[in-house]
Formats: sequence, structure tokens, C-alpha cells
Amino acid sequence: MTDYVIETRALTKRYGKKLALNHLDLQIPRGRIHAIVGANGAGKSTLFRILLGFLAPTSGQSTILGCDSQSLTPALRSRIGFVNEEHTLPGWMTVAAVVAMQRRHYRQWNEDVHRDVLGNYHVLPEQKVSQLSRGERAGLNLSLALAQGPELLILDEPTLGLDVVAKRAFLESLLNSNAAESCSIIYCSHQMEEIERVADNLIILEQGSLVNMSPPDEFCERVHYWIADMPFKGPDKSLVPGLLQVQRIEGLFHYVVIDQGEDFADFLRSHGARSVQGMPVSLDRAVNGFLAKNHIGPEGHEPRP
Amino acid sequence: MIDLFRSELLRFRHWALAYALLHLGMLGFFARVVDPLQQPDVVYLVVAAVYALSGLLLALYQMGTYRRPNTWLNLLHRPLPHWQVAVALLVAAASLLLLAIVAPLLLMLAGQATWTARVVDSRHWLLPLAAFLVTSCSYLAGVFAMLAPRRYAAAGLFGLLLLTASHAVGASALLVQLALVLWLLALVATAFQPDLTRPPVRWPGLMAVALTVQMAVYVLLASAGLGYQLLWMLQGSHPLNSTPPAGGYIEASRADGADLMAAGLVSSRVAEAPVWREQVRLAEVFTWQRQFDALPIRNELGNIAPMEFDDDARRLRWIFSHDTMRFTGMSLGDSQPAGRMGIGPAQAPFPKPPLPIGGKFLASADTVYGYDTQHRMVLPRIILPAGETLALAPSAMGEVVLVMSNRALYGYDARAFTDGDSVLAPRLRIALPAPIGDIDRVDMIELIDGYLVSFVTGLGSTDGPGSPLQAMVHVSGEGKATRVGQRALQPDFPLALRHYPWWVSPVMHDLRKLAINALAAPMPLKAQAPQPIPTSMKWLAAALLMASLLASAYWSRRQGLPRARRVAWALACAGIGVPALLAQGLIHPDSEG
Repeated sequence: MTDYVIETRALTKRYGKKLALNHLDLQIPRGRIHAIVGANGAGKSTLFRILLGFLAPTSGQSTILGCDSQSLTPALRSRIGFVNEEHTLPGWMTVAAVVAMQRRHYRQWNEDVHRDVLGNYHVLPEQKVSQLSRGERAGLNLSLALAQGPELLILDEPTLGLDVVAKRAFLESLLNSNAAESCSIIYCSHQMEEIERVADNLIILEQGSLVNMSPPDEFCERVHYWIADMPFKGPDKSLVPGLLQVQRIEGLFHYVVIDQGEDFADFLRSHGARSVQGMPVSLDRAVNGFLAKNHIGPEGHEPRP
Repeated sequence: MIDLFRSELLRFRHWALAYALLHLGMLGFFARVVDPLQQPDVVYLVVAAVYALSGLLLALYQMGTYRRPNTWLNLLHRPLPHWQVAVALLVAAASLLLLAIVAPLLLMLAGQATWTARVVDSRHWLLPLAAFLVTSCSYLAGVFAMLAPRRYAAAGLFGLLLLTASHAVGASALLVQLALVLWLLALVATAFQPDLTRPPVRWPGLMAVALTVQMAVYVLLASAGLGYQLLWMLQGSHPLNSTPPAGGYIEASRADGADLMAAGLVSSRVAEAPVWREQVRLAEVFTWQRQFDALPIRNELGNIAPMEFDDDARRLRWIFSHDTMRFTGMSLGDSQPAGRMGIGPAQAPFPKPPLPIGGKFLASADTVYGYDTQHRMVLPRIILPAGETLALAPSAMGEVVLVMSNRALYGYDARAFTDGDSVLAPRLRIALPAPIGDIDRVDMIELIDGYLVSFVTGLGSTDGPGSPLQAMVHVSGEGKATRVGQRALQPDFPLALRHYPWWVSPVMHDLRKLAINALAAPMPLKAQAPQPIPTSMKWLAAALLMASLLASAYWSRRQGLPRARRVAWALACAGIGVPALLAQGLIHPDSEG
């Protein structure tokens, strides 16, 4: 048995002139919850589609649960759960009928898990799927995926479009489920507060490449936020080491930098800073700053105060 | 699998039920107004088109919703082989079509058989099966159109053209439809895969798709010739919508009978020719064209024309039954059964189905029958020699009645034909100068000592191959026919345009013909003389094949195809030409690398 639930080697996917995945080398170890984040177009969905055999790579290899992802057997698919952001379930069927169908399809179906997870939602068996709210549909989808008893569960932006209450219900259903503890979970989201809450491992994709894989705390520790009072223009951006983001607000320079220690304060002072204050950042700020580094925008990465 | 099947039934159950009820209502209304089983082919064609459209719409909606990326992933990412998912969806769709299309038809037939005196033959009970097969064809073509890569997804729809183009009739037509269903199933099998953007990986699937795409491309290319003609018409100099070129085939096919016969005699070296040229100006010219392309065949599914006629004097309707090979009577007053009618006093069955041709006459492939109202009896009046087929119903010309077969023009005594009841012997026989499929028109005048006949051949040569000519025949008073003149008619279209469907791909040209004529019975009324391909056209075709081969070799590299596929496509392009080259481009996009 391989130690990795997902493994890619030089995985590349090109759409015309655009590279969706750029020689991606990724190894996701078995167990725990792994969050994958990245800006839109970073290649997350493309990666999942290749991993599940729904898209052929341009080059490179990918395996999922140790098998070539381009030749997944039905038995292997039963070991992989997948929940997408649309929660595409047959709207014309009742909840009971959908559950019965899944129960017959998956030998390792766990009725208790299904009942526990769905118990967090006010869903009646005789209700049609199309009559469920988006949050209820998400809960049903999660209960179906967890009850399958998967070794690997991929959640692709499962809380997209859910309100705050529904998001919280979804996350609690996931975290409180015993089934979630026994499988590896890939959690893809743009919601950093969710990532912060659920993820043991943070994987950041940027322009189809892996740019970070570490526990979220470790990543946060790499990123710092500095506020400097500089009367003049401040140092040229190209000279600022580890710069992710800079803003000038009410005469103060706000820097987000990565992999810089306390000597960054000296750097700022050497460029005329009268006072300098450093502080840690939240995961949201750290990831946003990290992803904003190469983001193309009308004002570059120095928005107006 | 059974769960997905049930789910799909559940999904469309209301729609299918509503369709079935509406369908039954329409059929019921139709049956109250006319006899649905005695309609001409065009009616069946329209109804079949509606069924085909229904199947297509079902496929487009059903698979259109499934093919969205997340829905497709949700459908196929489960512990079931993909083929089981496909079978579940397709069998569910087939069940829905059975409910919506077949069940109402069966009910209508049962109603006709139970409550009316109308004829319901064995062949009619096959109509629901034909409807199901036609609908299945369009459904499967729609499924392929939705699931196959966009570049060639529409190719399967071109397969539906075979349903209208095929010459097979009766059980053979069902076999052709079944073959098309199986072919489209094979195509769907290649497309029903997780990655909807990928062409088939395995050789059998790739070859099935490649052949389909090549035929679709060929049909499109062949249609481009019509597009060229439309532009020509817009430009205003097209021979068909302007003054046709002098001495050409179009001019001859449109000419006044007297002018045409006079023109045919211009080069005649017969001494009487000048006199005849004057006589054609004075005499009444009778003009005919071939009347039948085909005559009824036993147990065909449709009808060339309604197989019934009315005896107004007795208030009876006689409807022909293919099962008994006799007419079944139905009272026009109370719609009650009114006996049966065969040939002669013995009421013998008809050897071949007779078609009512008006004037109390019936025509089968080799016999013209007359109906005797007084004795409620049908008698043979004209029997063609063995192996000959009727092409023109009896037509009066002075004292003779003319009948044309696929081999000759016959003249019979008009009075005996009208008043008698016996089988007539021909007074004259004029052999046709060309196969019946080439005969465009026949013009004839009566001379003092016989007849003068003009034949124009070259039917279909306006924008196709052919060697049109006008032949003049003199028939003496004793019935001896002599060729007295002949002139070649000039083709009106450029040589390259007339042979375009051939030189653009000789193999696909022949394959199309093969498909159209598959399982078809011999069609004596469509026989044409083989047309040699001009050498220049052969060179043109060869040049295109060579260019396709070279282009394929270049393209294969850009596409990054493995060696075996490069060789296969090169061979296909060398043999099939442009359609293969374009199919290669459609099936294999340029390499992503």
C-alpha cells in the first residue's frame, strides 16, 4: 500500500495556449485533512478531474490510492468519495430513493454514519431532492459520501453558495463524523476560516504549480505583517525582501512579507522608517497575500489606501 | 444498474405518459378521418420524422443535462462499470419510447382490427416496430451528438439520412433500421466514457467513429455541389433558371414536342425525313414521361399510393390486403365488411399487389387489370412479357393505348381495351433505346402509315454523369420499328461538376451507393446504363488522393499521433481522400504538448 493517497509527477495539462497544470509534483500523504487552495484558474478542478479519470493529462503521471488515475476500476471508485460544489443529485428522486440507491451501490455503506450526518439537517425521507435547500442538499451529499466509507474523500468547494448557518452545519457534520476520521480528506475551498478550522495540511496551487505544502500554522508563521511610519516614498518594491503585498494607508506603509525575521524591521528603519511594528497574520491574510503576489490587477499589488 | 434505470424512468414518467396520451389522441382523430394504414409514403415519412424528432429531443435533453462536468462526474464516479450506467440510461429511454411511441400505435392498430372493416395486415403490425427503430436511431444519434467530442459530435446525425435514402422495403427496411441502431449503439459506446473530450482509444471504436465522420464529411462535401449551384442561380446564368444552352439536354427536356421531334430529324438521312419534319408541325404530339419509379411490393411497410379504390355505383370501397392478396370490400354506407375480390370468377389471389391507377384500372408490376363493376370482378387486360415491369400506365393515343415497360413501348387496340374484358395482344412493340432509368421523355405522332417516336435519354445527367441523346424511331403500319435518326445532346454543366460526387472521393461515392442499396430488392425501373468516368476526372481524383496522403502525413506530426495511427490515417487518406483527411483533423486535435 502506498503512503500517498494522491501522487502526481510532472503532471501537465494544457488548454490551447494556457497551462492549467504546470509539471505538478504533488504527494499527499494518507490520513488527515488536506486543504487545497488557490486562486481561480490555479488548476484545482483540473487536478481533480484528472485524478478521477475524467480528463486526460497532456503529460505526466497521476495516481490515486496507488492506481493510475486514467484507469480507475469500479472497485477503486467505491473507495473514493467526491462532493462537488453544485451537489448534483437527481432532483426528481426522493431522499429515501437516493439513499436506497447509494446503499445498494456501495457494499461498505454505513447506515449509522449516514443517519448521524443527515441528523444535523431537517431533511425528510419523502422529500424530493429538488425541494431541499442548498444547505440541506449539501448535507445530504456529505452524508452519502461519508456513508460510502471512502478511503479518500474529495470535497471540491462544498460550502460554495451556502449561508453562514449552513456552512457551520456542514463543517460540524464533517468534523463530528467518525467516518471523517478514518479517511483522508481533500478539502478545496476559498474560505480561509474553514481551512483554518478543518485543515491539517495546507496545499497552495498557483498557476498550476505547487507553491506550498505545510501545516496551516507553519505557513502562517512564515508570513508577517509590518506597519512602518515612513515620511517619504519608502523603498522601491523590488528591493523589499519577501514582499507579498504593500499598502499605504493614512501615511503608514503596511507590508505583508514571507520568510522574513526580525531583521526586516532593520531593513525598514534603514529606509527611513521612524517607527516599525510587526505582528503575526491570520491564515486568511497570509494566503490572500501569498496569492495576491502574482495576481494581475489594474493597480498591481499596491491598492489605493 | 437497476436503480439508475428506475431513476431514469421516474425522471421522465410524466412526460412519457403525457406524450403517449397526446399521441393516442392524435392517432384516434386521424383514424376517424381517414384510414391511417392506407396513406401514401409521404404521410408515413412525415410521421416518422415527428417520431425521430421526439427521440432526438429526448436524447438532447437527457444527455444534455448529464454532460455538464459535475453531473457527469456524479453519474459515472460510482462502483459500476460505465457500460452498466449506459445500459441503464439507454434501456430506460427505450422503455419510455415504447410507452410514448409504440403503445399508442399498437392500440390504434388493435382498434382498427377490432372495430372496423378496414384491412390490418401483418405488415401493419410491423409499423410500431419500424417507428421504434426509427425513433431509437434518432435517439442514439442525439446521445452521440451530446457525448462525443464537439468537433465531430454531429456526425452521427448524418446516419439518419440512411433512413430516408435506403431503397430497402418491408422486412429488409427493418433490417436496415436495426443495423443502423446497432451502428449508432457502437458509436454511443465509444462516447460514453468519463473523459468526454477524448476520441476513442481502442481501434474498433476509432474505426467506427472514423468511418462515420468520413461519411458525414463526404455528404457535406457532396452537398457543397448544390451550394455551388445555388450561388450560380443567384448569379443568374444557371442553365436551369435561365435560357438553357442550345442543343443541350435541358433544352430538349423542356422543348415543345413538335420542336423536339423536328430537331431530332434534322440530321436524319432517311428520305422521308423532310416530310416527317413537316408532319410533326401539323400532327398532335403525344408526350409521356415515366410514371412509376417502383410498383408495390408485397409486405412493404408503406404504400406508394393508397391501395384502395371506390366503386361509386355499388357504394363499395375495395382495400387491398397483402395477407390475402385480394381486395377486401367495405360498404361506404355503413362501413361494414362487403366480401373479398380476387382475379376472375375464381377470385384467385393476385400474384403481385396491384395499384389503383384510376379509370377502374389497376397496375401490378407486370399486369394491367380492369375492374368490372357489374360483376364485381377484376380481370387481367394487359400482361407484359416475362421479366418486364410496367413503367407507364395505359395512355390513349388515337386508336391505340400505349403502355411502357422497362424494355419497350407497347401499343394496344384502344377500343378493345376500353370495351373488352380479355387479355390483349400488342399491335406494336418499340424497344427502348436505353435502360428505362435513362429515359427522360417519349414523344410520338401518328403518321398515315405508322408512328414516329422520339426518345430523349439522359435522365439525371443535368448535374450528374450521363450521355444524353435523342433517338428517332419510325414504326411502320406492320409494327416494324426502325431507327431513323439520332443526335447527341450536349451536357449543360461542366464536366467537373457533373462528376463532382465521384472525384471528391470515389470510395465514399461507392460506399454511399452500397449503403443506400443494401438489402434492397432489384429495382428494374431505376436501371441505368453504366457511365464511364472520363480520364480527366480519374486524374483529378488521383491528385486529390495524393494531396490528402501528403497532408495527412504532415498533420499527423502536429497531432502527435503514435506511429500505428499515423500509418492508418495515411492509408485512409490514400484510399478515401479528402473526407478521410478532414475526419483526421476533426477526430484528432493538434497536440497539446
